[in-house]
Amino acid sequence: MTDENTMTDESPGYLSRKVVVSSDNGLHARPAGRLAQEAQTFDSEISLVVDDQTVDAKSILDILTLAAGPGNMVELRAKGADAKAALDRLEALFLNKFEGA
Amino acid sequence: MADSTLTGIPVATGIAIGKAFFVNRNHMANLPRQIVAAEDMPAEIERLRAAFKSVETELAAIREQVPEELKSHGSLIDTHLMMLKDPKLAGASEKYIETLGLNAAWALEKAVSDQEATFEAIKDQYIRERMQDVRVVAEKVQTKLMGVKTDLSSISGRAIIMAHDLTPADTVELQVDKIMAFATVRGGKTSHTGIMARSLGIPALVGVGRLEEVHDGDLVIIDGLTGKIVINPTESELAEYNERAALFEDYTRKIRRHCHLPAETFDGSRVMVQANIELVEEVTAVLDNGGEGVGLYRTEYAYLNRTTLPTEEELAEKYIDLAAIMSPRKVVFRTLDLGSDKFIASYGELNETNPAMGLRAIRFCLKNPQLFKTQLRAILRASAYGNVSLMFPMISGVKEVRQAKAWLAQAKAELRREGVDYDPDMPIGTMIELPAAVMIAEFLAHEVDFFSIGTNDLIQYSIGVDRTNRHVSYLYQPLHPATLRAIKLVVDAAHQAGIEVSLCGEVASDPFCVPILLGMGIDSISMTPQAIPGIKRIIRQTNMHDCRLLLKDVLECRTVSRINNLVMDNIFKHFPEEVTFFSSLLENDELPS
Repeated sequence: MTDENTMTDESPGYLSRKVVVSSDNGLHARPAGRLAQEAQTFDSEISLVVDDQTVDAKSILDILTLAAGPGNMVELRAKGADAKAALDRLEALFLNKFEGA
Repeated sequence: MADSTLTGIPVATGIAIGKAFFVNRNHMANLPRQIVAAEDMPAEIERLRAAFKSVETELAAIREQVPEELKSHGSLIDTHLMMLKDPKLAGASEKYIETLGLNAAWALEKAVSDQEATFEAIKDQYIRERMQDVRVVAEKVQTKLMGVKTDLSSISGRAIIMAHDLTPADTVELQVDKIMAFATVRGGKTSHTGIMARSLGIPALVGVGRLEEVHDGDLVIIDGLTGKIVINPTESELAEYNERAALFEDYTRKIRRHCHLPAETFDGSRVMVQANIELVEEVTAVLDNGGEGVGLYRTEYAYLNRTTLPTEEELAEKYIDLAAIMSPRKVVFRTLDLGSDKFIASYGELNETNPAMGLRAIRFCLKNPQLFKTQLRAILRASAYGNVSLMFPMISGVKEVRQAKAWLAQAKAELRREGVDYDPDMPIGTMIELPAAVMIAEFLAHEVDFFSIGTNDLIQYSIGVDRTNRHVSYLYQPLHPATLRAIKLVVDAAHQAGIEVSLCGEVASDPFCVPILLGMGIDSISMTPQAIPGIKRIIRQTNMHDCRLLLKDVLECRTVSRINNLVMDNIFKHFPEEVTFFSSLLENDELPS
């Protein structure tokens, strides 16, 4: 989960980073809510990709429909002025298992 | 005739007559569906946004008031708040207004059904069920749009609260001083609604079928004595119930006046009358009703509705409070009595097909010694502050008791090393609720300081009947010859070994059954605090000699109906007043389903 996965402007127009779901229950209501809440603070368009499913990171309902369980790989994609900051923030959330700030 | 009469399970006694007020009623049946003209669309979108905003403000305000102990419900409100902000609801609804010209409530309904379609396909059951939260949130907004007031502050005067279910989260929103009674569709004897009602001293019914027949503003009678709801009663029914309510009030006042006197029969036999509680807050009810101690403190509440286990500190703080307030009266702590069917999320892997016979109570604790020891240490710490006893539930054999005692000894040793105070002589008991424990009562009596017979489970396990199963609930007979013999055997074994025996369970608060229990020689009985005054009154007006004679006759009967007839004749003869106000387990040849 370092910058080696971060795409640059030559790639498809968005930044990307891969994270693993490590919270015990997967992306259930509380983590999904927390994730959407954080995503909404950024202007960038942010999406989550699991397998071939792409959803809006600002929507708790979308995140829930991923039904991502512990150990699932999730790709974070962000497009916009604060894309890098958004990815940093969301990645940190995954790493902290959605606990704390 | 009244419009209709419904039945439910009474969980708090009393009679209330008042206007019905439905909380969380599904108003969606009359959802308006109109097409909005193009020029009115911006206004309609504004209306939608305002409704979302106003629900958000309300929820945020409730979120602030959630007390510490209901924190898990706080996180539920957080989820609802996030759903309110979700573009898939608000944004999608706006699109439906703009593109299809739907009115706001209809547009939101369409956005919700889109989500429903998506969620239905999800395999994860937990996530699929979150759709209910989406529904709850959307309905709040739709209700706002339709101008229907659900806000309790909108009722003038007091009301009888009706709901499909009342969760702790709902009750945070209720203004208790406006509530005369509760009636809910869901819930059982130990549900939150019952606890809440009993602490407010108002009648409540749960498990009411066809409750939706009641409309807001209907005049209803809630009879928390027999479990009836009369909708729009006639003049004569009203008069009848008003009189009944007045009589009940008189009776309650009369028995309450004497409830602090000891429970002693005419011929001088003394029985302890104690209370079953699960919240420290219920202590007031115990003392007000003349409870001589807490015969059963159910410790499960602190473990429910949360995702993390309570810490020793958290438990000790509550336990110490309870022991200190009740001191010098006794408090009997029952160690964690949970089955996998009702345990917290962390133990979700325990999905059992037959939880009543599975990994529950003492079995669960012995499998999770860390959790068990945390609780034992907390109870030991409380023993330094009052008259504390401890008992183990679901004991099936001697070895189990010894294992549990070994963990207790270890907890004691740790505390001693750490220099923490506890009562080294704290009495230890076992619950007798399995037929196996009955049969070996003689052996178990040498391992412990007291017995406590848990009749609710003992009856179910002895007769092999799940009392919540309506096909067989008629078999649930407290005075079945088998259970009577079982109780007698346990009492005799205890007294033979020189230890005390108490009994907790609904039988203890059933006025019809009490004389039989007295005849057995039970040392103490434990019941819901509210039942204490009535039971004490019966004890104070009876002779032990008569109870023994009755028991002798009863033990010779071969059928339940013969026993029940004998017992009822006795009560009708001696306590006609009690019969007027209390329903008995003996009359329940069919429990409400």
